[in-house]
Amino acid sequence: MAVGTDSARVDAVDKVTGLALYPADAVPKDALHAVVVFTNQPHARLVSMDLSKTVASPGVVTVVTAADVPVNEYGLTLFDQPVFIGLDDTGRSSVPCDVSRWEADHLVVVVAESLSEARRASALIDTEWEPLPMASDVASAKADEILVHPGSSTNTYHTLQIRKGDAVLGMEAADVIIEGTYELPHQEHAYLQVEAATAWIDEQDRVTVETSGQWVHEDREQIAHALAVDEEEVRVRYAAIGGAFGGKEDMSLQIVMAVTARKLGALGINRSVHCGWSREESIVGHHKRHRATVTARLGATSEGFITAVEADVWLDAGAYNYTSNKVLGNLHLSVAGAYNVPNARIDSRAIYTHSVPGGAFRGFGGPQGAFVAESQMNKLASKLGMDPMELRQRNALTDLSDGITQSGLPEGVGVTRVIDACVERVPPSEELPEYPPFSPIASLPAKAEQLRQGRGYAVGMKNVGFSFGFPEACEADVVFHGDADEERPNRVELFHSAAEVGQGVHTALTQMVAYAVGLDFESVDGFFSDTSTGGDSGSASASRLTFMAGNSVLGAVEEAEKAWADGARPAAGHFRYKPPMTEALDPETGEGQPNFCYGYMAQAVDLTVDVGTGHIRVDRVVSVHDVGKAIHPQMLRGQIEGAIAQAHGYTLSEQLVVENGRIQNPRLSQYLIPGIGDVPARVDCVILEAADPLGPWGARGVSEMPYITYAPAVTAALYDAAGIWINKFPLTPSVVLEHLASAEI
Amino acid sequence: MNAEESYEIRLKVNGRTQHVTAPARRLLSDALRGELGLTGTHVGCEHGVCGCCTVLVDGAPVRSCLTFAVAVQDKDIRTVEGLAAGDGELHPVQEAFKECHGLQCGFCTPGFLMTACALIEQNNDPTEQEITEAIAGNLCRCTGYQNIRAAVRRAAEITRSDKR
Repeated sequence: MAVGTDSARVDAVDKVTGLALYPADAVPKDALHAVVVFTNQPHARLVSMDLSKTVASPGVVTVVTAADVPVNEYGLTLFDQPVFIGLDDTGRSSVPCDVSRWEADHLVVVVAESLSEARRASALIDTEWEPLPMASDVASAKADEILVHPGSSTNTYHTLQIRKGDAVLGMEAADVIIEGTYELPHQEHAYLQVEAATAWIDEQDRVTVETSGQWVHEDREQIAHALAVDEEEVRVRYAAIGGAFGGKEDMSLQIVMAVTARKLGALGINRSVHCGWSREESIVGHHKRHRATVTARLGATSEGFITAVEADVWLDAGAYNYTSNKVLGNLHLSVAGAYNVPNARIDSRAIYTHSVPGGAFRGFGGPQGAFVAESQMNKLASKLGMDPMELRQRNALTDLSDGITQSGLPEGVGVTRVIDACVERVPPSEELPEYPPFSPIASLPAKAEQLRQGRGYAVGMKNVGFSFGFPEACEADVVFHGDADEERPNRVELFHSAAEVGQGVHTALTQMVAYAVGLDFESVDGFFSDTSTGGDSGSASASRLTFMAGNSVLGAVEEAEKAWADGARPAAGHFRYKPPMTEALDPETGEGQPNFCYGYMAQAVDLTVDVGTGHIRVDRVVSVHDVGKAIHPQMLRGQIEGAIAQAHGYTLSEQLVVENGRIQNPRLSQYLIPGIGDVPARVDCVILEAADPLGPWGARGVSEMPYITYAPAVTAALYDAAGIWINKFPLTPSVVLEHLASAEI
Repeated sequence: MNAEESYEIRLKVNGRTQHVTAPARRLLSDALRGELGLTGTHVGCEHGVCGCCTVLVDGAPVRSCLTFAVAVQDKDIRTVEGLAAGDGELHPVQEAFKECHGLQCGFCTPGFLMTACALIEQNNDPTEQEITEAIAGNLCRCTGYQNIRAAVRRAAEITRSDKR
């Protein structure tokens, strides 16, 4: 099976027959059931907790608290969250645990014979809380009068800056300056499979957690840290994963269920324990795409050449860091766009608030940054009366550019390529086709006189892989099988930890191995996502797996080929792929090489708006991507179409309501993700294949790319249609109407 | 009222009658998944929005998370496990979703399959509009629906060619 052709997914039959087992499906008959009790306190001190009624409640086996966690702290990139809020802990954590800073901080785990008994017992917990003052958003946290983490003197805990050239002089040299303040909203991942996990002590005495996540080895590391044991004493494996999108990168049930299994083991109870969250618990209980406020200025000459960019970024990290520092880095890099900017001043800050943590979500900072950069460019084009794509072409980064971090870009910069391909497909000078009329209410006729059509563009780039000096690597193992007298192997086993979150990575890796060895697809057996069988793959995030895992399996095949040639039967190959090292940015100037690979994208969006009701229908999206190499074109198109649907919800309908640190609409009936009737009527994918010099067969990454540019392309199309710029979204009918009214259109 | 009082409920699932002992308020989704071990029926939102839990009751798509098991006693219930033939041959909707990549994470897939099955068994030549309307109540967070739409179209095509 060659790369570049479409095979069936390796998991397709299991997924269409109901045989695929997700974390809530393979619960042993004799398993105990657990409920994780949240504090329900966005900021309060725990004064007392009485568990006696809970413990005495029928069916209860045990209750797990802070006292049961050897090192009661958690954090993917810095430890700032207790695993449990409680009054007594072991004293081995640097994070105080008597104060709840988030409504979904964990209080206890109640374990019972049945779920209903665990729930009933959970309701009997008697707590007393002392409410503490709240700094629940950026505006109130900025003053530092109320500190979210009192160990520090400021809530603004992570800052980045870029000083390139002289931004003041650059602005003075500008003929035109565009200014705007942009409000970026939260977004809920809304993967359809909510969090669930089963934990037990396995036959080798390892604490074992079966769940769904994005990086088994990271889960294991976090569990081992909290349990204060060697990683070898912990095993994490993934069941089928029902979507993740960044929302399963941080821990949900992993640590608390491992602690629970260990406590049961210590009590001599040799039974599995299962916990599954409800949809409401899932939405309340995991991080969100960050909300952010960005004020930006863009200076340009009358010919449209950029002279300077200034930006002030405030990222609401919520109560705990999660991956906010990484997200901030990406937003920071992308807020100036994919353009040559001779002079820049960019100040980016992540700030703690008493609110839901922000964290990883497809594109992580890229969609926020691109909304600012591309809105500014679209406004500049409009102000100059220039073709928006010609404006971009004049400023586009190339292989010769030094980039916003003054370091040059990895070879193969594709900005001009995607612009050219987008313009060729959707010329800005072309008349819009006449799209059929639409009525926001299907049973009522469309009011043609209220309908306006428009077209908008946006262009961008997004890193592939981990950035800023993180020790990026990916491991793979393969074993060739065959007889001693055979020239070639007849079967290959692949051991890999890459998380199959739906994107198709298991299929792609199987395909790559088959092609590299010269076997058919069916002769490769994959064993995936189990710390006891596979090496560390890194996360299913940052559009990195095709590139990173692809290179890892190629290396492993090469090693196995050597062993095979030396006569080994079976012949094993192990490989750890490391891309070129990246750098943290200089704290003063922001100089450095943050990334080793980028994907490039351009989009054109046509829409119709009903100016009487404010409803928007997206008629057509043309999404152009330089992917390096399409390993599996059909799955690649699926990534583009799927990312656009999620970005469409982000831009038009998904409105998470958070008041004083509490999510007000944690249900899919209240938080509206797009259905088939809501998504763009047509999506055309345009795939360019300018090989990345380091990618496997030249492949880059794509899964986040279509997200990056969608919102600014939609707002530009809305401006084209109705003459209003909207600096925030989702573009709900009421927001559109409000802007139309103030513009008197 | 004693919510925990149990009853014997007869459920005819995928052609086989089974007895479940459960409280009167046991949801069909829970009875299928818990008592009968048919975990191919997924629960995504627990209140009838996402459609992951869709099963067929007397041929019509029904949200099993909004249906009490006792309410469908003796009716013909069909789940994703009942789609393929006894010899494992895939049903046209299964074949089509596989072929057209009408799935990614696969969690919503059983619900889409059952909804599409109901459509195609009633109408094996649906228009685009009929396809949209049939699956408008099922949510997918991964695919963007284009391949799902293509899969339903393809399933209808396979069904028509099977009939010839």
